[in-house]
Amino acid sequence: MTLKKKKSNLYLGDRQPLNTAGKIGLGFSYAALICWTIAIIWPICQMIVSSFNGMQQEYIVMNGGFSFSIEHFEYLFTDTLYPKWMLNTIFISVSTAFITLLFVSFTGFAYSRYRFKGRKASLMTIMLIQTIPSFAGLTAYFTMYSIISDVMPFFSRQMMLILIYSAGGIAGNTFILKGYLDSISMELDDAAKIDGCSNLKVYRLIILPIARPMLAIIALWSFLGPFMDYLLPKVILTNPEAYTLAAGLFTFINDKENMNEPAFAAGGLLIAVPTVILFTVLQKQLISGLASGAVK
Amino acid sequence: MDQKLYDYIGNSYKRKNLYLQEVADLENEIARTKDRKTKAALKAKLVALLKSKDLHEYVKSLREYEEREKAFLEQLKQDSEAYKASFTSDNKKVNTLKMRYFKATKEEEFYKPYVDLCYDAEVKYKSAFVIFEQMKEVIDHLESNLKDLAEAKVSAKNKNPQKESEGKKAYKVKKAEVDKQYKISLKKLKEKKKEGLISNKALENEKRQLIAKKKKDISILANSLIPSKYYKEVVENKTYETTKAVKQKLAVIDDNESNVLRTVPSEVESNLAGRALATCWLPGLGQYLNGQTTKMWLFLMGSFFIYCIAIPYAFGFGNYQAEGLKSLVTLANGTSKLNKSMIFMVEGIIALFMILLGIGIFIISYIDVKHVAKNIVKGIRPKNWFETKRGIFEEGFPYLVSLPAFIVILFIVIVPLSTTILLSFTNMDPKHQSKFQWAGLKNYLELATAEGMIGTVFWAILGWTLIWTFVATTFAIVIGFGLALLTNNERIKGKGFFRGVFILPWAIPGFISIMFFGIMFARQGILTQILNNITGLTLDIKNNPIQTRIVLILMQGWLGSAYVFLLSTGVLQAIPADLYEAAQIDGATSWQRLAKITLPIVLFQTAPLLIGQYTFNFNNFSIIYLFNGGGPFNPTIYGNLAGSTDILISYIYKLTMDNQQQAVGAAVTMIISLALMIFTFIGFKNSKAFKED
Repeated sequence: MTLKKKKSNLYLGDRQPLNTAGKIGLGFSYAALICWTIAIIWPICQMIVSSFNGMQQEYIVMNGGFSFSIEHFEYLFTDTLYPKWMLNTIFISVSTAFITLLFVSFTGFAYSRYRFKGRKASLMTIMLIQTIPSFAGLTAYFTMYSIISDVMPFFSRQMMLILIYSAGGIAGNTFILKGYLDSISMELDDAAKIDGCSNLKVYRLIILPIARPMLAIIALWSFLGPFMDYLLPKVILTNPEAYTLAAGLFTFINDKENMNEPAFAAGGLLIAVPTVILFTVLQKQLISGLASGAVK
Repeated sequence: MDQKLYDYIGNSYKRKNLYLQEVADLENEIARTKDRKTKAALKAKLVALLKSKDLHEYVKSLREYEEREKAFLEQLKQDSEAYKASFTSDNKKVNTLKMRYFKATKEEEFYKPYVDLCYDAEVKYKSAFVIFEQMKEVIDHLESNLKDLAEAKVSAKNKNPQKESEGKKAYKVKKAEVDKQYKISLKKLKEKKKEGLISNKALENEKRQLIAKKKKDISILANSLIPSKYYKEVVENKTYETTKAVKQKLAVIDDNESNVLRTVPSEVESNLAGRALATCWLPGLGQYLNGQTTKMWLFLMGSFFIYCIAIPYAFGFGNYQAEGLKSLVTLANGTSKLNKSMIFMVEGIIALFMILLGIGIFIISYIDVKHVAKNIVKGIRPKNWFETKRGIFEEGFPYLVSLPAFIVILFIVIVPLSTTILLSFTNMDPKHQSKFQWAGLKNYLELATAEGMIGTVFWAILGWTLIWTFVATTFAIVIGFGLALLTNNERIKGKGFFRGVFILPWAIPGFISIMFFGIMFARQGILTQILNNITGLTLDIKNNPIQTRIVLILMQGWLGSAYVFLLSTGVLQAIPADLYEAAQIDGATSWQRLAKITLPIVLFQTAPLLIGQYTFNFNNFSIIYLFNGGGPFNPTIYGNLAGSTDILISYIYKLTMDNQQQAVGAAVTMIISLALMIFTFIGFKNSKAFKED
């Protein structure tokens, strides 16, 4: 008995025991963390609750009572264009990611591996171009679209959007990929060249496999872009049938006719769940993609 | 004129043209002598020499050679026609190679006696000799392999069921043997493992090797014993030999030929100085005169672009509506009512870029011709197509692969951007939608002097934009960094949970959170109700400028802190613990450790990304527009163009999209773009990524 009692009094941690001030500090830390946790979780919970609340109508209000129902989700898929918007967004996202990747994998390779005339100047130029918000050319996009679609009638507004997204992404992503490839030794390329690889073969056999993680991240960011963007779809796409999710969902809270806030919450939830899973699982990789372009 | 000739690495060669040698010697002597009298005499001698050129022994023999060569070439043409008729095989590849060989044998024979006469003959002789020596083997290789290929194909078609089944039987027997062998080896291995001679991992490795060996053995057996598989492999093999292997062999010959070109200098009489300038009007012509035929075709394509596409377009032909370059001046004024100034402007800009591209082609062609011509005079022969192609794929590779990207950027980014730049100097407003005119600096002056309906609003909005950018971003950074510090405390438990929660605002698409906050902060919204209950006031956040602004900043703190949290957590975790231990031993307080170790490291490593956060918020259209549409409106200060929380970017949106004030919108866009560019330029000029190059 005595032995056990003694043991419980023993201090066995490898850190110094906390004094009173330290304990109070620790208490405050916990308090701050818990407060912020609540600040984050509460609105999210509200969104989840209202999307499943059958008692809410049109406007989300407090004290409206709660009864579990999935009517808002049913409404989304049966009475609105939500499924269409989903498909539109996926189409635009996949195309954007694909085109961006196609261009960027080459330009990143060229800028990282070759010293050519005009390299530094063009690097600086693309860097500066990248800072200009993509809707600086908004007025011109309309005119260009009207010209192109008149010459080529199959050219849709969505295609215009894809082109704008992918062209806008080339500059920044080239920089990111260049930063990543720069950190990989050139000896690999040289060895391959000595063994008789042409430039294209070096690209295909050496660079592509090595850059795959970063290419995946670039593809992912380009894929997510259209999901997050509201402005360009809203401006470029005029037909609600062609809307992306962001532009479409806004009509639920902005349009007097379509006003349905719980449906917005439900629709938003459906987008948020996959992105949250994605971002949580891949947070390190996603951040490294951003960092390698800037820090290195 | 130089007394000697040089190749590309500077080796010098004696001139073979004795006449030119004499001229060069004389010129050289004239330059060297200082005595006037001798100089005059030498000059007279030179003039006499130049005059009596046709009487010069060497020139005579050279002329004779040239005549004979002409006759020989004529003869060769006839001979090769005759030779062509004698071809038996209808394989094009074989025939072209045979023709090359045939010509080379004749050339070798003809040029051999003239090798000492002039370098042109020497180069032709040597090139022909290379082909004469090496082509035979390639042709033989190709022909024999083609024969084998045809045979194998026939055999593969004519299946013999009896042989096939026999082969399969034999294959089965052998395969069983291999299997048996494999099992025995595996058993041995396992015994070894049991005895404890090898480890588990070694067993795995050996097993993998055994399996690989077994597979290989079996496939060899199948290919050698079963006729159908055997012929299939033969066909594959021979196809490779007749295509890729031959290609490689030909590349070796090309390489040797180019080696001849590099080691035999050129020798010409004229100095070709005017060639580049004289031919600059037609890219391709100079290349033709330099003897680079394939390059000529490439540049002729450039000429085609210039003369058949760019220039006509610039003059208005083939335009969608406009009049080419001229439309940039007129902006559709004075043309049909249906024509729009905007279209004229865009087409004018496209015409302008086409012309610029054309000028680029002119310049490249001029430089190329000048460079090659200069080299010819010096002794360096122009590259043949094989070498040019190689050069394009090596030195030109980066241009080649980034060209598509540049074209896309040109049309989707640069052209619209130029349009916006030009647009900011016009008067496109609600009254001038379809037709507008140049207005000079009017828009900028209006903005700068805070005059007119738009100018006054601009400064008020700029002020709020700067406050918003600074306060909201700093707030988010402070929260994010503070949270990262707190969660990184080693005594805090449940780190994983906290971290998981804190990145949620980053993981949820921003527009969803913003719109939902917008709902909750509406007059009847949940958060407004709660705040009302707590404070006892009746808040009307979305109609009160100050309240909206505060809520916006708080929201950005909520949204933006997650990203900063993520960044700084990453950096904090990477700081080695011994830094802190050392500091502690030296008696640093925890405050000092934070200020002298943690802060500098985190700030230094995340600085570019944090700067990025400031520019991001400067342009953070979504939060302003989606939360409250830039409102509430306050006509006394902002007129009816903007609301009191509008930042420049949402102001531009309203100007351009809602109020048709495109010209002023463009001017504001230019101002913020310039500001952002300068900001980023300063940031990136000092970044490592740029300095290292």
